[in-house]
Amino acid sequence: MTGFRIDGGTLIDRNDVRRFSFNGEALSGFGGDTVASALLANGRQLVGRSFKYHRPRGILTAGAAEPNALLTIGRDGRRDPNTRATMAELFDGLEARSQNCWPNVNFDIGAANGLLGPLLGAGFYYKTFMWPAAFWEKVYEPLIRKAAGLGRASYDPDPGYYEKCWAHCDLLVIGAGAAGLAAALTAGRAGARVIIADEGAQLGGGLLAEGSPIGGKPADAVLADIVGELHALPNVEIKKRTTVFAAYDDQVFAAVERVQKHLPEGAINPHLAMERLWRIVARQVVLATGAEERPIVFGGNDRPGVMMAGAMRTYLNAYGVAPGKRVALFANNNQAYQTAMDLEARGVEVAAIIDPRTCPNIRYDGKARMIAGAMVRDTAGRKAIKSITVRHDDGRDEVIAVDALAVSGGYSPIVHLACHRGGKPAWSDEHVGFMPPENTDGMTPCGAVAGKIGIVDCFAAGGAAAVKALAELGVMGDAATLPGVAQGDATVDHVQPVWSVSSTKGKAFVDFQNDVAASDITLAMREGYDHVELAKRYTTNGMATDQGKTSNVNAIGILAENKGVSPGEIGTTTFRPFYTPVSFGALVGASKGMEFQPIRKSPLHGWAERHGARFVETGLWYRSSWFPKDGETFWRDSVDREVNTVRTKVGICDVSTLGKIEIFGADAAEFLNRVYCNAFLKLPIGKARYGIMLREDGFVYDDGTTSCLGENHYFMTTTTALAAGVLTHLEFCAQVLWPELDVRLASATDQWAQMAIAGPKSRDVLAKIIDEDLSNEAFPFLAAREVSMFGGRLKGRLFRISFSGELAYEIAVPAGYGDSVADAIMTAGEEFGIVPYGTEALGVMRIEKGHVTHAEINGTVTPADLGMGKMVSAKKDDFIGRVMNLREGLVDPNRPTLVGIKPKSASDKFATGSHILKPGDPVSLANDQGYVTSMCHSPTLGHAIGLALVKNGPSRHGEEVVIWNGLAGTTVTGILCDPAFVDPENEKLHA
Amino acid sequence: MRDYPLNNRCAFPHPDASGAGASINLAPVKDGFVFHVLGDAKSDEAALRQALAKVAPELGDDVRKSSPGQWFWVGSIAVSDVRLAEIQAALTDTFALVDQTHGRLRMVLSGPSSRTVLAKGTMVDLSTDLFAIGQSAMSQIGHIGAMITRVEDDSFELIVLRSFAGSLWDELQHMAAEFLTG
Amino acid sequence: MSSLVKCPHCGLRPKEEFTVRGEVATPRPDAGAEEAVWFDHVYLRDNPRGEHREYWHHSGGCRRWLVLSRNTLTHETSEVVDASTLKTGGAA
Repeated sequence: MTGFRIDGGTLIDRNDVRRFSFNGEALSGFGGDTVASALLANGRQLVGRSFKYHRPRGILTAGAAEPNALLTIGRDGRRDPNTRATMAELFDGLEARSQNCWPNVNFDIGAANGLLGPLLGAGFYYKTFMWPAAFWEKVYEPLIRKAAGLGRASYDPDPGYYEKCWAHCDLLVIGAGAAGLAAALTAGRAGARVIIADEGAQLGGGLLAEGSPIGGKPADAVLADIVGELHALPNVEIKKRTTVFAAYDDQVFAAVERVQKHLPEGAINPHLAMERLWRIVARQVVLATGAEERPIVFGGNDRPGVMMAGAMRTYLNAYGVAPGKRVALFANNNQAYQTAMDLEARGVEVAAIIDPRTCPNIRYDGKARMIAGAMVRDTAGRKAIKSITVRHDDGRDEVIAVDALAVSGGYSPIVHLACHRGGKPAWSDEHVGFMPPENTDGMTPCGAVAGKIGIVDCFAAGGAAAVKALAELGVMGDAATLPGVAQGDATVDHVQPVWSVSSTKGKAFVDFQNDVAASDITLAMREGYDHVELAKRYTTNGMATDQGKTSNVNAIGILAENKGVSPGEIGTTTFRPFYTPVSFGALVGASKGMEFQPIRKSPLHGWAERHGARFVETGLWYRSSWFPKDGETFWRDSVDREVNTVRTKVGICDVSTLGKIEIFGADAAEFLNRVYCNAFLKLPIGKARYGIMLREDGFVYDDGTTSCLGENHYFMTTTTALAAGVLTHLEFCAQVLWPELDVRLASATDQWAQMAIAGPKSRDVLAKIIDEDLSNEAFPFLAAREVSMFGGRLKGRLFRISFSGELAYEIAVPAGYGDSVADAIMTAGEEFGIVPYGTEALGVMRIEKGHVTHAEINGTVTPADLGMGKMVSAKKDDFIGRVMNLREGLVDPNRPTLVGIKPKSASDKFATGSHILKPGDPVSLANDQGYVTSMCHSPTLGHAIGLALVKNGPSRHGEEVVIWNGLAGTTVTGILCDPAFVDPENEKLHA
Repeated sequence: MRDYPLNNRCAFPHPDASGAGASINLAPVKDGFVFHVLGDAKSDEAALRQALAKVAPELGDDVRKSSPGQWFWVGSIAVSDVRLAEIQAALTDTFALVDQTHGRLRMVLSGPSSRTVLAKGTMVDLSTDLFAIGQSAMSQIGHIGAMITRVEDDSFELIVLRSFAGSLWDELQHMAAEFLTG
Repeated sequence: MSSLVKCPHCGLRPKEEFTVRGEVATPRPDAGAEEAVWFDHVYLRDNPRGEHREYWHHSGGCRRWLVLSRNTLTHETSEVVDASTLKTGGAA
């Protein structure tokens, strides 16, 4: 037996029996237990196998730093691998499994790795598996992956809800031990907005494990008083189960709150987050994160039953769990003696206290035998410790039978959050640890993280830290008076550093989780990797999920000792977020599945749905892409029919997603003249003009139409893709480049439902609902103005523009009426055979007409490349892109220029992205003539057509070329031609 | 001419309030107007209020600043095309007026939990002493841009682009679910 | 990188509300300026260790272009102003 439940335990409720399973075995614990305390109470010390050597490992700590006891908890979508048993709260029905062992934790085949030890030393990844090279992928890596690795993630979706929240406070207190509680109470009483966060299920930190009275009052009663008062303060927000895991710029702290992870499945509220990711904006911070007890590096220090002295005390006092029946303590400091005293007080035999200090400056009143000036050099026992070997100061060895060993090698302040923004901790010989950096803006470390010892001193430090932080905020406050405060001088310990036991026999581990032994670190040094950052990466010390919380300082100490320098000269590795692992669920928050990103819906979405539209995602928009009719099973059946109907009759298409920008101001015309490469100054009221916008580097940015709707009032449309980009660009021009111009911009995309009505019958359809004369004379091509509709019942904006090449209009109506107007147009168009058409048909028709989109405007083309060089104004003094557009390289006649392309044989097909070669040239990009930018099947022509950018294209119409699909390895003979396959004379457009 | 039916369609997935009686309530604002006011470089809010009082006193002066020289002017009365044209003409060149009644929709999130729900979306600190009644902020709720205005003690009006209204409504429902069922 | 930016118009906002364009380039040259001046304006950017001025667009807020002066080493932001003040010299 290595562990058992005894009386007491301030955290557990013995009336609340909770059943759980460990590796399939039914066990039970109590409410308030962690999985670790429940396992110990059931005598289960062996909980897992180590990463590299598969050595038996037990529970080392009682908190966040746990390197060994990583379990997989839960099943299916709620399975959490690599959960620290020391942090997981026990609930009824919990299922826990060991990791990294096969077939089971007691008999693990991988333990044979222990025999391969010499091969797996420092840098083994770089040395052992190098040759032959081909073996890496096929043999070594799969083997390593199978043997190593920790828990496995579930493939099932997590059914839980996760979310993110912002929080704001005057003072953030991180850690609710004695110092943090005193700080929160002080600031809370002063009226400040306080958030106090602690990773534990209960506030209290070290107070929860305190067995002795404070100021004559039981520790749990003192704690209850403080927590009660904090709860009563409306300006104090208490966040339990909340780990502040990162400190970011501008005093933003990230924290994860485990809201429901401690509940059995049946008790989970599906509407409440499982975990909540907090971003806390704090004006001031009190850092009260405490200190981490360090292990001592000696032979067999990883055997189950070896435990941190402070953790043993926590299990004893907070959970009523004794670690064994006969325990020894190996410690180099005074604080750890408290564990021995508490063990004896609770009736557990302490066989010996082994203290490396020759004259420990402490009086021990217990029964335990004191062995000064001695070290533990080895342990024995197969799956749990049975004895220790003590090397006395006279060189004599003594074997002492024990079933648990408490270890304490000193205390490392938990400085992470003080260092995330680049601060370096400073070594202190006095405290034998790295202290938080000074000058951490807005952050005051206090309590054990600042080297304070004992509850009473920490109370005082917390109060003082809060007073200091409040003063920064301009708030007066008095340090909260708490029991036992004001005892005179600060408590001091006398820690004697023991970085590794020189008489060690067997493997002495520094990093338990990554199986890094002291010998690995000295080997790394011998091989030249003695810089702390290099040693870390070469040995993997501190690189596991625990990030070296129990190992980093010992590794630094070993490096320092071997180099004969102070640990301060070695320095630490870099502290980066996160302090402890954070689940992907919390990081993702609500953004998953259909909520991955917002959906933008056109005002005609419902109308399109009623007509059976298939939708395509375009950015965030859902656009109707085609409208299958009964009997159409293949998308092209629908698209071909839609195209044919528009070309011969009439169709209606939702173009509401095009960007729309209202432009006002006395200088609006001048502004447009500067942002478009073609002339806009003289655009008359009631007219639309096609415009090309360049980037300042001379390439085309976007195209669209802009209409003049009134004096100093213009209406610009952009492509759907660049709606936001164009507005941002115009804002840059208006605000940064020419703030002296009076130009005002407003996005109006969402105000209008806009429909294209295209086809030879489009005028006839619209004449039925628009109250005005639509004849070619009264409303010619590129007319644009407000019109009265439905006998004066509605006003809309009508534009005679065409993307399809047909006689066409775009009508915009206030979005709420879009649905009704689209229905009215369908009704009015019924006699003409109107159909709805989608973006696919739109795409086919624009290729047939030789119109470009962003398939051609791909960031590498000039207006001349698109056959629109003549549009670029030679008269205007200045416009965006004017100078760079004239660069030598951009006016080269040999540049790839827009052409049409079709297969020589009508039955041949080709693909977008195919390259163009001259017939007879070897198939190679070295002979590249250009590439296909767009292609489709043209129902109008009955064969495939495409647009391409080809060197000196316009002079090569009629030339036979090879269309090479390098991916498929196929070639087709094609013919270059005019890009306007349909109506090159624009007769339909002007009909 | 045939009598085609014309309906102004609501863009919210559920046109009615949800959560009534719970600690959180979400309701669309269906009537009224949203005008985007674009001032010239010299214009300020006092001048705008003055101009509105003169030109359209019946519509109130609930103006919410979105940017330097830009405001959303909102009200609960329906404004006809004719009246809007009159107001636009009367404001002359100092203030251009763009009708956004259909493009920017309003909804009200109210109840004791409203602040907690909004903190799941926006970084803006909405605590009572920092965000007074009548105060507005152009911000983002999650990934969706919205203007947040505190209209009462525990009541916030949100103005959102029409195309995002359905998504924002659904997201707020998720964020508020813990209070709807409580 | 700054987590929060103090927009001169909106107050403290998270970086997610902003879009960064990059270094504040040389002022846009006159139309007749030499090609080299244009190349500098369009292409040449510094990548300093230390003080850096950048264009940030408050795309999720007031939609104003701002000039943010920050230290690339310490991440400290010393000043945020409306970008129109680069040219007008006054307030936005």
